[in-house]
Amino acid sequence: MAVAQPTAGAVPSQAPSRWAKMWKSLSIIFESRIATVGMVLVLFWVILGLISLVWTPYPPNASEFTQNLPPNTTNWLGTDHLGRDILSRLMVGTQVILLKTRLPWGGLVFPIGVAIWGVIGSVLVGAFLGLNAGYRGGWWDQVTMQFLDALIAFPVIVLYLVVIAALGQGDLVVILAITVTGAPGVARLVRSLALDIKTRDYIRAAETRGESPWYVMFVEILPNARGPLIVDSMLRVGYAIFAIGTLGFLGIGLPPPDPDWGNMVNEARKNIFSNQWAVVWPSVAIASLVIGLNLFADGLREELTRYQK
Amino acid sequence: MARFIIRSLVSTFITLIIVSVALFLLLEVGSGDITVKILGVFSTPEQRASYRNQLGLDDPVYLRYIDWLIGNEWRAERQVGFDLVTAPNPQTGEDTWWADVDGQLIRWSLEEGELMKLVRQEDGSTVASLADAVWTTDEGGQESFWGVDDKNNAVKWVRGEGAEVWVLTKAGLRKEGDGPQDYIPLRKGLIRGDAGKSLQYGRPVSVTLWPRVRNTLVLAGVAFLVVMPLALIFGIIAGINEGKPIDRFISVTSLGATATPEFVTGIFLILIFGIWLQWLPAVAIFTSADAIFENPALLALPVLTLTAVELGYVIRMTRASMVEVMGSPYIRTAILKGMPYWRVVARHAVRNALMAPITIIMLHVNWLIGGVVVVETIFGYPGLGKYIFDAAIFGDVNAVEAAAMLTVIIAVLTRILGDLAYTFLNPRIRYA
Repeated sequence: MAVAQPTAGAVPSQAPSRWAKMWKSLSIIFESRIATVGMVLVLFWVILGLISLVWTPYPPNASEFTQNLPPNTTNWLGTDHLGRDILSRLMVGTQVILLKTRLPWGGLVFPIGVAIWGVIGSVLVGAFLGLNAGYRGGWWDQVTMQFLDALIAFPVIVLYLVVIAALGQGDLVVILAITVTGAPGVARLVRSLALDIKTRDYIRAAETRGESPWYVMFVEILPNARGPLIVDSMLRVGYAIFAIGTLGFLGIGLPPPDPDWGNMVNEARKNIFSNQWAVVWPSVAIASLVIGLNLFADGLREELTRYQK
Repeated sequence: MARFIIRSLVSTFITLIIVSVALFLLLEVGSGDITVKILGVFSTPEQRASYRNQLGLDDPVYLRYIDWLIGNEWRAERQVGFDLVTAPNPQTGEDTWWADVDGQLIRWSLEEGELMKLVRQEDGSTVASLADAVWTTDEGGQESFWGVDDKNNAVKWVRGEGAEVWVLTKAGLRKEGDGPQDYIPLRKGLIRGDAGKSLQYGRPVSVTLWPRVRNTLVLAGVAFLVVMPLALIFGIIAGINEGKPIDRFISVTSLGATATPEFVTGIFLILIFGIWLQWLPAVAIFTSADAIFENPALLALPVLTLTAVELGYVIRMTRASMVEVMGSPYIRTAILKGMPYWRVVARHAVRNALMAPITIIMLHVNWLIGGVVVVETIFGYPGLGKYIFDAAIFGDVNAVEAAAMLTVIIAVLTRILGDLAYTFLNPRIRYA
């Protein structure tokens, strides 16, 4: 790759450059056909979302056309029950999931979507709890695991419903809900990894040097647990999109005006007798994005564990 | 083993307490003024205040939690001065509250300033008569009386000051004079089997919950019976043919089924079987309580939807486990020593390969409950999932708590069962 060329100069290049390293770790994706297919599916939606930031065929919320049109040359995917162009709405629908988070104050918008922030949140909380439980053991472990058991036993959907009923609809609330429901799983994973990693010699070495427990946990253990954690996070983004779709379908997901895939399905299903296309497209969108993430994670896991056997 | 079970039970109990407190607080923060939802947006502030008082919602949240958990007649008894007991209503069989005065079950009511006493007869009816002079006078010279009213509340009447209260009847709100000043809605508490009254329906939660649970058990049970054999067969076929086209086909299909949300699967099934082919009813409308037994076709699409989602998941688990077992040395040995291939698979591989899926299915119940909520909403199926959904949206604390406790118990019990099944299937694992 052209960008991988290190700049010639004073720096002696014994070590591979940063780009080369990154390329090497990325190339693992292309080793697996499954992961490549998954990545193509995900990238398709990401790119479509990026395009929609600057251009959509028609304004996504404007009722400009006849209602419930089947796909035709003007509206490639047809129109919905309010005469809005479905393709434009589908494209904009990726934004709230993957590309932007709307803050409740003064219409501010934050980069990176709700599903991804939710997973970042659950990884942060889960890693913190899991590292403490796994590395410190004893009381930390007992109390944390008891608390997590309670959260895991909590039916996820009830948690979503109650959190949203309690705090109202909103992007941040959905992020919080995903964080709370995802954190126990991450914590369990990180705990089991920490239990394994803390027996290694380099941890002993760090402890002997007199490093603080926080240093050992976050600088020594966490980076060494990243492989399974990354695969798990990929799957979790899939679950999060799944959950956002479900919430949207139940009518308590991401708030308007931005179109939400789950909500599009919910609204279109009321007209399913006259117009099936409006149901089909957003359904296909959710399914393909989730399948893409699943394939990507599966392929990645296969490649990562290939050398461990 | 005994220690393991005891520890699990203790842990379950703590879990239930944590979950119930968390739910109580969340609903407390979230549901806002529940009386608006019950009485409607056109109710006046006085009507709402009166109704809040009748529901006991003016008490602090910790007191209401304790009431919900262990009941509150001990608190009311201190005010009333008599033992408070329950007796069944002859018509509905639901518990009603009475004060036990020297062996007679008594309630009171205030009519035109006169305190009447209603004595319960053997057949459940009451005989009214003028009550004895029971008013107690406090420092301020106010004469008051604590008793049990005819709506299962411990109430405080003040002589000469019948409050105006708004009573919710089937026809709407009705203003009544001679009302009590303060209410304690009597209840036994969850640990004594009383889940309280549903704010949404005005009936005891237990009465409204059980038919829903039964419907969901039928739905989930049938889905389970369909999923298990199919999933195990397909998983095993895919597992022993790893990498071949048939494995690819099964794997990709099951991944697609798992990654498609339930509502998408459900809608496509409605589209195909309900609208285009018109073979099956597209919604599950219950014309009677036993509709699913009278017309099993109602179950077909909900079951199919649940199956589609669960099937993929279990197939993937079984396949992964089967692939792992088929690669192990003892299978190679069995094949090399000349054993017929099908016997190796059936005798040696399958037994060990089924361990993982069986335990994972047990852990999966929690997720299934989420699926059930969606499926029941799509098809309008009156089950536990829809009950939870409606109650959570309404902010019906008692109903949400009872349903959530039930689902938590189911989830925890199946997890313990899964653990135990695992020890049975895999003797190498011991629980200390």
